Amino acid sequence: MPVLECKGLTKRFGRTAALDEVSLTVEPGRIVGLLGPNGSGKTTLIKLANGLLTPDGGYIAVCGTAPGRESHSLVSYLPERTAIPTWMTARQLLDFYGDFYQDFRREAAEEMLDHLGIQPRQAVKQMSKGTREKVQLIMVMSRAAKLYLLDEPIGGVDPATRDYILSTIIGNYNPEAAVVISTHLIADVEKVLDEVIFISQGRVALQSTVDDIREEKGMSVDALFREVFKC
Amino acid sequence: MLRKLLKHEFRATGRIMLPMYLILLVTAVGSNLAGRGMLDSRFDILNILGVLIVIAFGTAITGACLLAFVLMIQRFYKNLLQDEGYLMFTLPASVHQHIWSKLIVSSVWFIVTVLAIIAASLVVAYQGGFLREFLDFLRYFLEGLRKLKVSEAFNGTIYLVEFAVLMFLSLVAFSLQFYAALAAGHSQANHKLLWSVVWFFGIQFALQFAGSLLIIASNKLNVFDRFFSHWDPSPTVAIHVGLLMAIGCVIVYGAIFYAITTFFLKKHLNLE
Amino acid sequence: MQWQFSNDAPIYTQLIQQVKVGIVTGAFPPGERLPSVRDLATEAGVNPNTMQRALAELERDGLVYSQRTAGRFVTEDNTMINTAKRSLAERHVKTFLEAMLRLGFQRDEIIDLISKELGEEEADHASA
Repeated sequence: MPVLECKGLTKRFGRTAALDEVSLTVEPGRIVGLLGPNGSGKTTLIKLANGLLTPDGGYIAVCGTAPGRESHSLVSYLPERTAIPTWMTARQLLDFYGDFYQDFRREAAEEMLDHLGIQPRQAVKQMSKGTREKVQLIMVMSRAAKLYLLDEPIGGVDPATRDYILSTIIGNYNPEAAVVISTHLIADVEKVLDEVIFISQGRVALQSTVDDIREEKGMSVDALFREVFKC
Repeated sequence: MLRKLLKHEFRATGRIMLPMYLILLVTAVGSNLAGRGMLDSRFDILNILGVLIVIAFGTAITGACLLAFVLMIQRFYKNLLQDEGYLMFTLPASVHQHIWSKLIVSSVWFIVTVLAIIAASLVVAYQGGFLREFLDFLRYFLEGLRKLKVSEAFNGTIYLVEFAVLMFLSLVAFSLQFYAALAAGHSQANHKLLWSVVWFFGIQFALQFAGSLLIIASNKLNVFDRFFSHWDPSPTVAIHVGLLMAIGCVIVYGAIFYAITTFFLKKHLNLE
Repeated sequence: MQWQFSNDAPIYTQLIQQVKVGIVTGAFPPGERLPSVRDLATEAGVNPNTMQRALAELERDGLVYSQRTAGRFVTEDNTMINTAKRSLAERHVKTFLEAMLRLGFQRDEIIDLISKELGEEEADHASA
């Protein structure tokens, strides 16, 4: 059963269609790149999969069910902004995730926080922007979810943080779960991905594996992206 | 799941309300001391200090009420409709549970604030003979009660209960009106707060308008004459009916606000 | 181990080459156990499925063998490692020659240049 499935999925904001008849499937065990320029509809798709928006047409399912309470316990979501309450300390954050998600691996999270030198008593407020993003990613990746939806996990962070984030994603790989990474920084994530989905103006422009693209076109996904989305 | 939501909601709000109650208690104790001679001391400095402490107590009372009110709005707004909403609305919890957790916690703080202010006032009033005076008052009060007829005592208690329920439900409905306006306003793409204000007054106006229409219609149709012409209640019963009808109205208002809130959070959530 | 990738070839073929280099240079010594797929993938910063695919290919070639539960091991067969070494070397020579021919060099010129370069290197070593 696909972990994420869309058929004819449409979402409009006013008169403009943010997503226009999008159909795609993501199978378990895959790390998929959702690639497209800013405003192409990546975030809209991820929000729909999280039930933060309701579709205007078509169908979207996570592990076979429409987004809602049930799917929330199967999906681990990293929003494009810092959503963790900043007044909480690292320990309170661990309590929070542990209380709400049965699949939260507290020891794994504690180990990763410890590795970064974050004290349990430290408040999120006192952390730098980069550290906050790392902490949020640690919480998200410490869940044993079926689907990880990571919205721009490497946007706006320094290269060292970027490497840390990507290796955390690889290090937590689980063959029964799928990871969807939305980004426009393709060169950085290309090697981490199995598959890529190009989104352009609310439509799927291409879905293929990274090595198929490299084999058939003799160019990197990044180079192909630049060609497809040439201004 | 509601229990967990409540736990974390109390954690988030307690860190603000509890220190406020502590300030209330400290200024109350201070005012009590000020009353025992500081104010009519021969030293100007003590006089001024005493006055300042009493002013601080007054401010603390206002502050506690204001804080409970602001927190009720701010928790709903910041925790559900701002960035934290991305976290909250992807928890395995329903929209109903989110609304109830906010509603229950802010109601609890409203009640605790009232109780804290009463307790603080007692602290201020406490003098050497205060306890005896207070007990005397209670005894006097109980004797008064004993002189009442059974029916009077019974009705009086029920009035009090009805009035307390009415007050409490009004507070809940009042909170829900803010929730409804915020939830509706934030379904817009831009100027979310402005839209929330528009919604708040829009809802207010619509309900008052509907209420007026209802009254006009019932007058025109002579509802009272038709159905209640033979009904001649005693004043006691009339007061009960009046209070119960008020409670009924507040429940209807609250239910409308609740429905608006859930509708927008479920179907038209539009986080920035 | 240094992992580097170019943009014009599939990642799994590049992984095969680099693990081969690792085996030939002794970074992965004969008979030693290879790190797990996940660890290798994390180290190289690549997708675990791609790493898995590369190792499976190496296993088919015989440079690597797997034992049910213990994991993957580098072959102990030195002739096989030497063959791999030789084929890697041949590839380098081939690309070098192609580049030189494109620059317009003749065979004897190339040999001249190489022996001169080797001579200089020897002199450098002697003086050092």
